Amino acid sequence: MTPDSKDREKRSFYLNMGPQHPSTHGVLRVLLEMDGEYILEPEPVLGYGHRIQEKMGESRTWNGFLPNTARLDYACALIYNHGYVGLIERITGIEAPLRAEYIRVITSELNRIASHLLWLGAFLLDLGAFTPILYTFDDREQILDILEDVTGSRLTHCYFRVGGVSRDVDGKFVEATRAFIKRLRSRFSIYDDLITNNIIFIKRVRDITRFTPDMARRFGATGPILRGTGISYDIRRNEPYSVYPEFDFEIPVGATGDCMDVYMVRLREMEQSLRIIEQALDRLPDGPFLTKVPRRLKLPQGDASFSVEAARGELAYYLVSDGSDIPYRLKIRVPSFSNLSLLPEHCRNMLLSDLVMALGSLDLCIPEIDR
Amino acid sequence: MILKSDSMNKLINDLRNLPATVNEVDYRKRGYHLEVELTSGQVHEFASLLRDLGFYLVFVSAVHTAPAIQIIYQFAGYCRPCRIVGRAPVAADGSIPTISDIFDGANWHERETKDMFGVIFTGHPYMQPLLLPEEGADLKPLLKRDDAVKTMDKIRRPAAPDREQGKDL
Repeated sequence: MTPDSKDREKRSFYLNMGPQHPSTHGVLRVLLEMDGEYILEPEPVLGYGHRIQEKMGESRTWNGFLPNTARLDYACALIYNHGYVGLIERITGIEAPLRAEYIRVITSELNRIASHLLWLGAFLLDLGAFTPILYTFDDREQILDILEDVTGSRLTHCYFRVGGVSRDVDGKFVEATRAFIKRLRSRFSIYDDLITNNIIFIKRVRDITRFTPDMARRFGATGPILRGTGISYDIRRNEPYSVYPEFDFEIPVGATGDCMDVYMVRLREMEQSLRIIEQALDRLPDGPFLTKVPRRLKLPQGDASFSVEAARGELAYYLVSDGSDIPYRLKIRVPSFSNLSLLPEHCRNMLLSDLVMALGSLDLCIPEIDR
Repeated sequence: MILKSDSMNKLINDLRNLPATVNEVDYRKRGYHLEVELTSGQVHEFASLLRDLGFYLVFVSAVHTAPAIQIIYQFAGYCRPCRIVGRAPVAADGSIPTISDIFDGANWHERETKDMFGVIFTGHPYMQPLLLPEEGADLKPLLKRDDAVKTMDKIRRPAAPDREQGKDL
């Protein structure tokens, strides 16, 4: 034993953060080896909410698993729907009608904004600012109302079907969505005044800790964290699915990879999502919203993969079929799992108070990690 | 499609020199571009090669097949739309070398695979349960019953409908 490590053993102590801690936003525990206020080694401890979703995926028909997808990540359930129906459509060769694809994009993007708004409020709450969450929840509430009308639920939406969506949207939906676009655009200046230009906020996040492109690549981190480091990688652009290639939108990127950049990426992504929704509403085609799909459709033998850009990064479903209607194996790759795995490297030698900020900027969704 | 570019051909050649069996597959039907069949001894070299080419790790997982569990690796690149699925059976003693020294993200994926399938990743720095509790270490919930395990040819896509098999690579 070197004198250094002996010294460390004598001085250090363990601190439990979680599993029930307000800033972990779910049942995540981080075991911290501390030296005073500084973190020597953070170790995330997972599995408190483990429901073995992958086993459920291979013990019921492909159709029966669809509601589970919404329960993986309650903050952007529709995007999880999207990945799963996309996977089944890819493996069976079923095509959804154009109108359904447009509806999927509009509702997915609304869900992405809702997820970012939830993050924005909760993140600021972690940093000690109580006001922003009242504003973001006000905005998010509008989205939940719109989505409730069309999907039937406020949080765990199960709206997409293989071959389309479960019900059509009407004029009221289009009108309400247009009104929401107008509303949220007028709110960004409030968020800038309240948060972006707030000196306390800037001092808490600017340059404290940085994600690097190399770190993101080694850990497989994706989503706003990766884009915050300056790498323009978005599945919607790099491996386009659905009708995303038909829309004109930008992929916001940061420069330094600090938490301010990650914050800015998410804020600007909301603006881009609004652009996508607006274009999709303008061009929303008429026609059927669901094609007829046999209820007990057998999946052709073989494997297939499908990736979508969820609010937190890359979500990939990988399915292996033995030719029956029950998947032989269903692997769900969730973005937060890989994003959280970089925490020990990212937060070593950091102040405890900054860990709250670093965890917050990862935008974790614990049920998604535990599955 | 991007499939016939020079860098793609170079990648396929490099993978074949491992030596591994590489198939180009139809992205529209399968969702990835290259399928790589490896032996358990080759996964380290395979991962090093993809690291040097700038790929990132999407996931490591497994499929329970007879006679051996297959470990699945999926990689993707930031710049080129190229997604690779690697497949390697575990060795006779149920182990396979870790790639967590090459891709740090594999650390957790391998721990999860150990929880679910009981596969030992040799050389892994911290082979502790991740999602399951410590007392559940031998549950291996994703292993199938003996009569439900399929051989590889029962879950592989039949060669005939895939036109890329006949293509000149």
